[in-house]
Amino acid sequence: MKFNILRKFSLILALVSPAPLLAANEVALSSDVFVERNVQKPDGKTAVVLEQPTRVIPGDKLVFVVKYKNVGDTPATDFSVTNPLPKAVAFNGTSDGTEIVSVDGGKSWGPLSDLKFTRENGEVRPALMSDVTHVKWTFNQSLSAGSEGKLVFRGTVR
Amino acid sequence: MTSGLIHRAKTGFAGGKILCLASATALLAAISPVQAAGTIAGTDIVNVAQASYDDGGGGTITVDSNPVTITVDELLDVTVVSSDTGDVPVSPGATSQVLTYQVTNTGNGTEAFTLSADTARTGDDFDTVFEQIVLDTNDNGVYDPGVDTIYTPGTNDPSLAADESVTVFVLSEIPAAANDAERAEVELSAVALTGSGTPGTTFTGQGDGGGDAVVGSTGADAGDSGFFVVQVADVALVKSATIVDPFGGTEAVPGATITYQLVATTSGTGTLNNLTIADDIPNDTTYVTESITLEGGALTDSDADADEGSFDGSQIAVALGNIAGGQTRTITFQVTID
Repeated sequence: MKFNILRKFSLILALVSPAPLLAANEVALSSDVFVERNVQKPDGKTAVVLEQPTRVIPGDKLVFVVKYKNVGDTPATDFSVTNPLPKAVAFNGTSDGTEIVSVDGGKSWGPLSDLKFTRENGEVRPALMSDVTHVKWTFNQSLSAGSEGKLVFRGTVR
Repeated sequence: MTSGLIHRAKTGFAGGKILCLASATALLAAISPVQAAGTIAGTDIVNVAQASYDDGGGGTITVDSNPVTITVDELLDVTVVSSDTGDVPVSPGATSQVLTYQVTNTGNGTEAFTLSADTARTGDDFDTVFEQIVLDTNDNGVYDPGVDTIYTPGTNDPSLAADESVTVFVLSEIPAAANDAERAEVELSAVALTGSGTPGTTFTGQGDGGGDAVVGSTGADAGDSGFFVVQVADVALVKSATIVDPFGGTEAVPGATITYQLVATTSGTGTLNNLTIADDIPNDTTYVTESITLEGGALTDSDADADEGSFDGSQIAVALGNIAGGQTRTITFQVTID
């Protein structure tokens, strides 16, 4: 009997072992982009509404929403979400400031206030929002099975 | 999938813990140059987010989100700026007098602009007679007659890429009746050919790059004024004579010396160029050599040297050069009565 259990267990292990290769499907990620539009209300006041645009013009304010969910049945450790900024978008920050950013194409990371930006002429200055090339959220705890969340940042069409 | 924890951003992240590994030399500008006017019309903005996590076996799994694609529409914007540093001085009756403007496409797509000049502005002192609008074809910033192209609305409306500028000249004739110090305003306007109007006005499907064209903050219609100022100068000459006779008196007798004084007074806001004062030596007198003075300083009779004075055997001359209005020059010379 004992032997059988052990055998069964090893069989299960054998089946489970390739699991890390299948784990690629365990986190679902979706991206949405909204644009802020000023809409004239019947009472004459202007309201800001979010629309999902197909077309924008320079200066439009965009809201990026990234949703994630662990759809697998094991926790995802060292979980992070990165959003490279499209070149035509200038970063405008997040509401909670928990992100880290890169101003050099993803080579180095940190809170914006810690970063320096090197201009083409070699001059180094504190990094600005408009220098940001990547936004990243790094989780300090694993993403348990079934858990989900939403990350939001803002940008402006250059 | 049933009772998952919601990861709250405020508790779940450790952004500040990541080390900044960059050294100053390793940093490179990663953002490609973007036009001052904004992202070029027709550009696709594609956003893809990426998640990564540990696969449990020491490797990293990366997941891409769906891509979201948004296209940038054309923004119609234009500016016109007078390039002249101040009022352009002109003389009454002059033709082909030039005012210079810079027309810039501040939109984000290629756009043609209709130009027009208004010489009948109110609030100035006189109106010029409009002659032509000329495009600075050779792009040297200077009006070159016969080289730069005469503008005809609807025929050669300048087509400018995003951020591109063209120098435009407006040629005017100055009425002969214009008076000294009077100003004339000439406005050059540029309007986007696709359309103009209230910012936000959309021209569906007419944008560069296949999208819509949207009127920007300038209304896609801009103008600026340049000014002419009439500058006229005149000179008045006053001549007087002082006689000293050989006997200590002031009689005009043979042998007496006459000192002539010429006072040239200029007036007006203009400048008299190459002003020369000349005076014939009167009959029955002989010029006293080397007797010319200017502002009390002696001048030589030679025309070959650098000083202003000369005597050619029959008249004295003093070349004063360019003298602005409102100045005085005093010249003296002497003769003896034969």
